[in-house]
Amino acid sequence: MLKQFLFHLRSSWDRRRRDAELDEEIRFHLDEEAEERVEAGQSPERAHAEARRDFGNVTLIRERTRETWGWAPVERLLKDIRAAFRMMRHNSGYTCAVVLTLALGIGLNAPMYEMLSRLFLQPPPHIEDPDRVHRLWVSERIDPGDRGVSTGRTWVVDALQWLDFDALSAADNPLIDGVAGHRVSFRTNGRGQRAENVTVSWVTGEFFDFLGVAPTAGRLIAAEDDDLTAQPVAVISDGYRRQRFGSAEEALGTTLSFEDVTYLVVGVLPPGFSGPRSNAVDVWLPLEHAATASRGNSWRRYGTTFYLTPFVRLAPGATEEAAGAAVTAAVRAARAGSRFPDSLDREATVALGPILRTRGPVTLRRHMRLPLIAGGITFVVLLIAAVNMSNLLMLRVAARRRELAVRYALGLGRWGIGRLLVTESLALAALSGVVALAVAAATGDALRRTLLPNYQWAEDPLGATAIGFTGIAVLGIGLAAALAPAVYAARSRGLERLDSSRGASALGTPVRTGLIVVQAALSVVLLSGTAVFYRSFEAARQVDVGYAKEHLLTVTLGSFHGDTRLDGLDGAPLDESAIRTMEARVRDVPEVLDVAQGTSSPMSGSGAVYADLRIEGLDRLPFRSGPHVNFTTPNFFDVAGLEVRKGRGFTEWDREGTQKVAVVSTSFAQQAWPGRSAVGRCLFVSGAADCTTVVGVVEPAVNWTLPEADPVYYLPIAQAASDPALVGWTSIQRALIVRTAGSPGRVEAPVLAALAELFPELPGHHVRNLSTQFASRIRTWRTGTRLFAASAMLAVSLAAIGLYAVIAFGVRQREHEFGIRRALGARASNLLRTVLARGFSVAAAGVAAGAITALWAGRFVEPLLFDGRTPRDPLAFGVAALVLLAVAVMASYLPARRAARADPRRALEAE
Amino acid sequence: MTPASPRNQLLYGTLDLLILRTLVYGPAHGHAIAGHIQRVSEDALRIETGSLYPALHRLEARGWIAAKWKTSDKGKRARYYRLTRTGRRQLVVEQSRWQQLSVAVTRVLRPAE
Repeated sequence: MLKQFLFHLRSSWDRRRRDAELDEEIRFHLDEEAEERVEAGQSPERAHAEARRDFGNVTLIRERTRETWGWAPVERLLKDIRAAFRMMRHNSGYTCAVVLTLALGIGLNAPMYEMLSRLFLQPPPHIEDPDRVHRLWVSERIDPGDRGVSTGRTWVVDALQWLDFDALSAADNPLIDGVAGHRVSFRTNGRGQRAENVTVSWVTGEFFDFLGVAPTAGRLIAAEDDDLTAQPVAVISDGYRRQRFGSAEEALGTTLSFEDVTYLVVGVLPPGFSGPRSNAVDVWLPLEHAATASRGNSWRRYGTTFYLTPFVRLAPGATEEAAGAAVTAAVRAARAGSRFPDSLDREATVALGPILRTRGPVTLRRHMRLPLIAGGITFVVLLIAAVNMSNLLMLRVAARRRELAVRYALGLGRWGIGRLLVTESLALAALSGVVALAVAAATGDALRRTLLPNYQWAEDPLGATAIGFTGIAVLGIGLAAALAPAVYAARSRGLERLDSSRGASALGTPVRTGLIVVQAALSVVLLSGTAVFYRSFEAARQVDVGYAKEHLLTVTLGSFHGDTRLDGLDGAPLDESAIRTMEARVRDVPEVLDVAQGTSSPMSGSGAVYADLRIEGLDRLPFRSGPHVNFTTPNFFDVAGLEVRKGRGFTEWDREGTQKVAVVSTSFAQQAWPGRSAVGRCLFVSGAADCTTVVGVVEPAVNWTLPEADPVYYLPIAQAASDPALVGWTSIQRALIVRTAGSPGRVEAPVLAALAELFPELPGHHVRNLSTQFASRIRTWRTGTRLFAASAMLAVSLAAIGLYAVIAFGVRQREHEFGIRRALGARASNLLRTVLARGFSVAAAGVAAGAITALWAGRFVEPLLFDGRTPRDPLAFGVAALVLLAVAVMASYLPARRAARADPRRALEAE
Repeated sequence: MTPASPRNQLLYGTLDLLILRTLVYGPAHGHAIAGHIQRVSEDALRIETGSLYPALHRLEARGWIAAKWKTSDKGKRARYYRLTRTGRRQLVVEQSRWQQLSVAVTRVLRPAE
């Protein structure tokens, strides 16, 4: 065995020497044979000739003998690879086209795939035995009447109130090995305009132990730390450590300040760790300290809407169903035994889901759907690139028929030819794979940040998954692209005809044309996707939010977010004189037209007040959500750009002591009194016994979800300030609404300066520009449009390359025929038209196939489109079809001109 | 390549046996081996060069024969093949297999006896 192995090894090594020896051996044989024949009486010339003839095909015998030397498959492969690289060098244009397109296709898909697998498949990193960690999904009815917000709908949410959670962690359950919870919010570290916004996670004491993560420096929060008597400590993410402190040594021992509590930084987490959630977290704090500082001691009570996201670790062998039933029982028991058993749904059920939120039972949010669609789009691009490569390979086969026929005649065999083509295809794919990795390294990061800006990305975009994907794609595409050409070449009878340069041009044409139609169809899908998304984006951009968003700046001077205190405000009444000074200062800024006040600022979602409301003549509120109330100064509607449609707005006369008045939004009026006039109706606000009269209806304004205008009613701030039931709101919440002549960006700096002077505690982000605010709301559609547009451009240029190659090749093959047609009297324009028509018809077939595909694929993008726009948009399809047909005509124009210029004389001479 | 006529077509695997058997008489080069087989079989077996050299190299790769460059009696360099020890053992195996086969074939051809 060993001897044989050494023999093979040796023969591989000195193959050149062995080749020479074999030649000598054969020469010796021929000489001997000839000599024998001469001895038998033949002439030396004849003897040599006959010896050679009897010997047979020297090349073939040499080849067969060589094969016995061993490693034949390996050597054959090396030879094929050498041949493949020779081919690539000699056809550099073709190689560039294939490699570039394929590299783009793979290079975009590799990081995309990595991203999707992180989002939907792989559990978050650094968690011990993550398959046993489960997210809890609570399905419960929202209690009617609660804050006047909701009706008896059921919602499914991965959150529990503290007492439920506490009961769950106290219950000794053999099915569950551990319980932990966290609550993530945006907080401000420090005070004033140099304060920074960070993502903070409040965690229960067991949290890190539960996850089984180890710090890279210092220690983590432990059970002892989650106690008000212990010193407040914080641990930070690796990213935050890098961004703010530099080294871990510098970070440890420093302090962070949230809501007047100073936390000592004691540890740093490993890179990429963001706990059981996918989005990045900067700082982790013990729940007791953070919640108490934010909410006072009442945060533990039911009904305070203090929710946290619970996780359980299943005991080995426990099933999700059994554990879910146990958790459900614990939660129901806790609710039944509480002091307010009616404040929460006692029939709630809890189910265990995977740790990844994206795999939970709720529908994906829009921003999570985008990566999925993007994955689909890049995959289509990859398909197009693969089809393009197959097509170009096919053309190469047709162009090299002579060469292949010669190789076949020399004994390469059908399999050999097939093998050669597969090797060539694989070599091309491999080269593309290398370039693709460079593309992935260059684009991966941008791709991630565009699609999911807040996500915690652990590794380099070029992680093991991306590289593995590239490898598999290279192999798969290399084999798949070679399939059609190899089968065609191995079966083609044309191979056996060496003189088939003419008349054989039609060989393989159906396959080539088919491939082009596929490419064109996929391009149409992407083009129409672009058009659909663009229309959606435009519609979103043009949506009338009510507010004069291009000319508004808002300054939040005090506000609660939900029931959480915002950024360093302590709930004390606002300093009215400071507000007046601030207003005067802002009014003096050049380009500022006017300044109004309100308790909630437009489109911010902060400071929405849901006061207790009763409408005269109605038993219950007819609204699906809201309504919220905004307390405003008389000039608010003017400044915000809201048109008073009926009745009147507020005036200086609407103040303490005059008749209590309200203005409602159109959507409020329509839902409360459909088809009837709103003016003159009575509202009873905050339990008041006397009527607040509706005096006007104002145009709807969008505050939260585009394009929905939520029902709002407005009350004069001057009247509320003297009403003991309402002053609680108006004394702590206030926003300035600043109307500018030009772009609000230009007055930002002086407004910030005034804010820093008069409200030094407030962070700079309290000054908001409504147009940028709006832009971030329509980000999904803009990103989608760009993504589709870039892919469609790539796809269309690939289709153009493919079509051009096919048509040009066809023309070259038929040049002779065109010449003869010219000689027989065909006009140049006729020939031009013939070729153009061919390109056009191929593209038209693609358009038809693409339209059908796009109609089907529309369902996937539908949920992403603005305001229920349909993806089956005739205009979008029309544009897509026109673009593709135009490109097709352009791509066939050059070859068509060549056909029209076919030289009749040369054709005749050749006959 | 001349197509093989039925007359000189060899049963698969027989060529190896013939080569091994020929080399029992001592080392020989390819041409001599072919000539020997042809002479001894009184021209009934003609060895195709197309099969001979691949076969020689295959047997060499298997370690049944070994090759060495030597000067022939006419003073030219030639590649001489000789039987190795494993080759000798293999010859016994091949020979007995051939004999079994030939006995079997003969039985089929003369079933009445």
